[in-house]
Amino acid sequence: MRPENYQARSQPPSNEFELNFGPNHPGIEGNYAFRVKLNGDEVLEARADAGYLHRGFEKLMEGRLWIQNIALVPRICVPDPVPMEVCYSLAIEEIGGLDVPERAQWIRVMQLEMSRLAAHLFAFGGHAATTGMYTPMFWGVADRDLILDRFEELTGGRVYSIYNIPGGVRRDVPDGFLERLSSLLDYLESRLPDYDNLFFTNQVFITRARDVGTMTQEQALSWGVTGPNLRATGLAFDVRRDDPYLVYDQIDFDIATEPGGDALSRNLVRRSELKQSIRILRQVIERLPSIKGPIRCPIPNPLAWNVPAGESYTRVESSKGELAYYVVSTGGDKPYRVHVRGPSSMHAVQVLEKLAVGSRLEDIAQIMFSLDACPPEVDR
Amino acid sequence: MHRSGIFPARGITETAQETVYRIMSKELNIWLDDLLSDIESVQFKRKSSRRVRVDVGSEALPALLELLQGRASYVHLSAISCVDWIEEDEFELVYHVWSYETQSLVSAHTRIPREPGVYLSIYDLYQPAAFFERDIHEMFGVFFEGSPDMEKFILTEWNGPPPMRKEFDSEAFVNQTFSWEPYHPQWLKELEEEGGGITTRPEDVRR
Amino acid sequence: MSDIPYKDKGSILAPFKSLGFLARKPVTEPFEPRPASDNYRGFHVNDWEQCIGCSTCQKVCDNAAITMVRVPGLPEDPVKGIRNERPAIDYGRCCWCGLCVDICPTGSISLTTEYVHTCREDELDSYFILPDPNGMHGEHFPTGWGKSTDADLVDLERQPMGEVAPEERIDSYREIVDGFTEQQAIIEASRCVQCGMCHDSCPTNMHAPEYIRAIWEGDAEEAVRQMYRTNPFSHVCGRVCTHRCEAACSIGRRGEPVAIRWLKRYAMDAVSDERVREIAAEGKVDYISGRKVAIIGAGPAGLTAAFDLVKKGHEVTVFEALDKPGGMTRYGIPEYRLPYDRLDADVAVITSLGVKIRYNTRIGADISMQDLERDYDAVLVAIGLQQGRSTRIPGSTHSQVKKAVSLLRKITQGEKFDVPHRAVVIGGGNVAMDIARSLARLQKTSYGEVQVTVCALEDFDHFLADEEEVVESREEGIEILDSRGPKQIVIGKDGELSGLLTLGVKSIFDADGRFAPRYDDSDEQMHPADMVVESIGQMSDVSLFGDDLTERLEWNRGRLKVDENGHTSEPWLWSAGDMVFGPDVVHAVADGHRVAASIEDYFASSGSQNNE
Repeated sequence: MRPENYQARSQPPSNEFELNFGPNHPGIEGNYAFRVKLNGDEVLEARADAGYLHRGFEKLMEGRLWIQNIALVPRICVPDPVPMEVCYSLAIEEIGGLDVPERAQWIRVMQLEMSRLAAHLFAFGGHAATTGMYTPMFWGVADRDLILDRFEELTGGRVYSIYNIPGGVRRDVPDGFLERLSSLLDYLESRLPDYDNLFFTNQVFITRARDVGTMTQEQALSWGVTGPNLRATGLAFDVRRDDPYLVYDQIDFDIATEPGGDALSRNLVRRSELKQSIRILRQVIERLPSIKGPIRCPIPNPLAWNVPAGESYTRVESSKGELAYYVVSTGGDKPYRVHVRGPSSMHAVQVLEKLAVGSRLEDIAQIMFSLDACPPEVDR
Repeated sequence: MHRSGIFPARGITETAQETVYRIMSKELNIWLDDLLSDIESVQFKRKSSRRVRVDVGSEALPALLELLQGRASYVHLSAISCVDWIEEDEFELVYHVWSYETQSLVSAHTRIPREPGVYLSIYDLYQPAAFFERDIHEMFGVFFEGSPDMEKFILTEWNGPPPMRKEFDSEAFVNQTFSWEPYHPQWLKELEEEGGGITTRPEDVRR
Repeated sequence: MSDIPYKDKGSILAPFKSLGFLARKPVTEPFEPRPASDNYRGFHVNDWEQCIGCSTCQKVCDNAAITMVRVPGLPEDPVKGIRNERPAIDYGRCCWCGLCVDICPTGSISLTTEYVHTCREDELDSYFILPDPNGMHGEHFPTGWGKSTDADLVDLERQPMGEVAPEERIDSYREIVDGFTEQQAIIEASRCVQCGMCHDSCPTNMHAPEYIRAIWEGDAEEAVRQMYRTNPFSHVCGRVCTHRCEAACSIGRRGEPVAIRWLKRYAMDAVSDERVREIAAEGKVDYISGRKVAIIGAGPAGLTAAFDLVKKGHEVTVFEALDKPGGMTRYGIPEYRLPYDRLDADVAVITSLGVKIRYNTRIGADISMQDLERDYDAVLVAIGLQQGRSTRIPGSTHSQVKKAVSLLRKITQGEKFDVPHRAVVIGGGNVAMDIARSLARLQKTSYGEVQVTVCALEDFDHFLADEEEVVESREEGIEILDSRGPKQIVIGKDGELSGLLTLGVKSIFDADGRFAPRYDDSDEQMHPADMVVESIGQMSDVSLFGDDLTERLEWNRGRLKVDENGHTSEPWLWSAGDMVFGPDVVHAVADGHRVAASIEDYFASSGSQNNE
């Protein structure tokens, strides 16, 4: 049925048309839209359209006590919330001169890597779905849930763990947790060949993902690409190693790189990082029991906590790339300014727009998932 | 492990070229310190081995960034942050640039008057600036001359003032715009009949 | 190269390897909600027995999800720091972060492993709940996220207070407590959760949350301003207040209460006397009312009333029998607890506002009550309890049996008397400790050793004196015996006092709660001494009223009868302070305010001005 005010309009014959991709589309991560101009199924122009997940976090944070924001920050990135908490806490710790006990630092590393595993399982599962393969998505999401079970045990919350606090973490590791985590890692490790068979060495996937959304290392650097996407262009850069925080400088891990710069390479980097994260977690399991001491340094009463005036730009390596918080304190009980630099603010906007041009319509979803773009990081 | 990156993965023997890079990067750091300390109107403060804070006049900032990018390998614009110093009537713009070679981050701070709130784009130096400048324009109302795109992005249907400005009170806006429907469950009615009931609402203790 | 066994051309058959999964056992999850983990953050429960209604959870809640609700029938006691309010939670806002649990001063609130709730659209009210110990749906679920010592957000430990060591202080009257440094004060002030229990418990309702916050903000002047809203004896109270606020402090539920008294002392010491005078004068009316008020007794009650009345523009004259102001705060409290210059500073603020004090003027002797009735619009009697009570045991009339208050007054005035070699003090209150410790100092300076024994009726579990007094007394070499009832003063053949006989105490009160001590006659002890000091309570000397006025006034069991505002049966006469409420500085201050307000009301309602 046509609306009452419908008037047929005559248009010159053309193969070009515009398409709104999203904001609610299975090929989009979260609520995000993409306006594309097409000629046939070839993309001529692409414009990212954000704002569907804007909740004004940066503004909200200015109105809340320092510690109240720990419940807010993980919401900025749903699939990978822990780096948000840790990064925010690190910034306050730097400004306030807090010494985080070593035990808490190791516990943070443990959470960060658990979160990375969960996020990568989500990401490759999602990518598989965009190429029509739903089983890897089911597997990825189901196995991620097993990690969330451990998060629930450790932090009391499955997704938003709200477990890190400026000064350390909020609870010690429960008895027997490390053993259960260890057997989870055994299980996940045993699953890697399954994922490979089903997905990573699957001819269908390889053929679909190769040479899709390709960028050179030079392009990646000039577009501000970071994280696995940058490593997939062959640059071995990782904030954990090259701008180390917490106790990453005491941990052995390799930085996975791939030469191709395409959707395939990006997925293979994540696949390698699954293995590296398991490797890091095994080191944590080995070391943590011998690191005694408190899990949080003394902090003032949160209702009367003036963080000294100062500013900090703190970076961590999230599963999606370089995550940074710029926090400014004027010596009050609330932050004066918090700026969140999510890696997806590059990947989901300019990079996606650039990579989409010239690609085919059916590859847009693939490109977005291969970049592991997270719209709430853009919207904040 | 693939080796085409400009930096080696840990645990692998360095090639001669990579050793040169590593040594150079240390010297580059020293060179940078010397250079920045010498320039007038630039205040330089090394906060740690990987963090440098530079305060620079707004007229000299583009030149400084050009120098950092072109001569000192600071090729990665990590972010541009904007801070509204309403009492001083100024915006502070902070350009965080990272060098993959020296592995250090320079935060270049500059201040511009809040009115008219116009500054130069650095898009021709750093392409990621397009996103940050557009975001700052939308949230703070700072216009960047020469930026490729100053269109609305996140707040497409918003016609009010730039919300991240300090004078915009989002809580007051919400209270004016939306009406709350208070709960009144049975247990509360019973308590009220007995002479009890609500004493302090959450908004009474908000600071 | 990648460590994945992936070939450039993956086999097209690779996915079929997954067919092997068909043979595996399927994973099935039960339809019922899965039991949550041991520290899951689900719906709240609140132990109403433990909860004190302090509303700290409400202040930390980042989503403004907590509303405080009064629940009639629950206990309410400002002195103990308990309100009959409980937090109600709006699950439309709550995000289950658990900060309320981590900051709860009592540890009453926790999150459970219950996490399922849903309802129809017309039942949205069911998202607003008042958590009690029974859980959201009345079903028991194990506690999930509960109070943990690992990351408690309540700071349970006080800033340490420096003290002069016993061996250094015993031979002098120098002040024992050092007071906070600025840094210590700010940290101590930061422990406060602003619940206001202190304000409710304080007899004069001092604005402690406000001045603690001002101290935390580094604004000592604002703190002083907040103090002078209710207490012109802030130097005195900052040192010797009985600090009921600290007993009510909600931080004290599990830890050491905020050192509210020492914070007050810090702020008063941090601001110059001139500036304190300026702050105290704020709000003084700029006209003269033409009313004249006479106040008898320059103690805390009288001077507080004088402070209030002079700020209202009345002409206030205070008559003091002794040569210095302060009353019992000067003559009853030893200088090591309250240096006289601090007391003088408090009084100087009051006189700077225009209050006149006439010293060495004893009403009833130098001036009669009739004169005051004639010359003034209102008269306030605030003479305190200056006479010690006697045990009336055999021998208690001996000249070497002294009353504690009289002896303390002598020490303050510098009167000479024979310092006993061995002294026994009867009594277990703070005055008993004061005289014991004062005598110990005199013994130390006169003879080089301390020999003082305190015999208290109460046992240590029900002791009257503050614990710190007991601790410090012991540090200074004083022997304290509990559950000893005085039987007889032993007098030698030569008429010299030789000691005190005491009996063990079986019970102090009878079944009806009346004071009726019962002793164990088989447990008798002799405490040799050449002086016995009675410190079992004080009473008022009411001879100043004269026969005529005494006859006109109404009395109640030997005490002057007054209404709740201190108004006697005579319209022009009020009474305030210890003589009405018993010995306590802050009560006297509160009483001074109350009476001043009553006098002010009387002036307002009486309209015309007498005696003009």
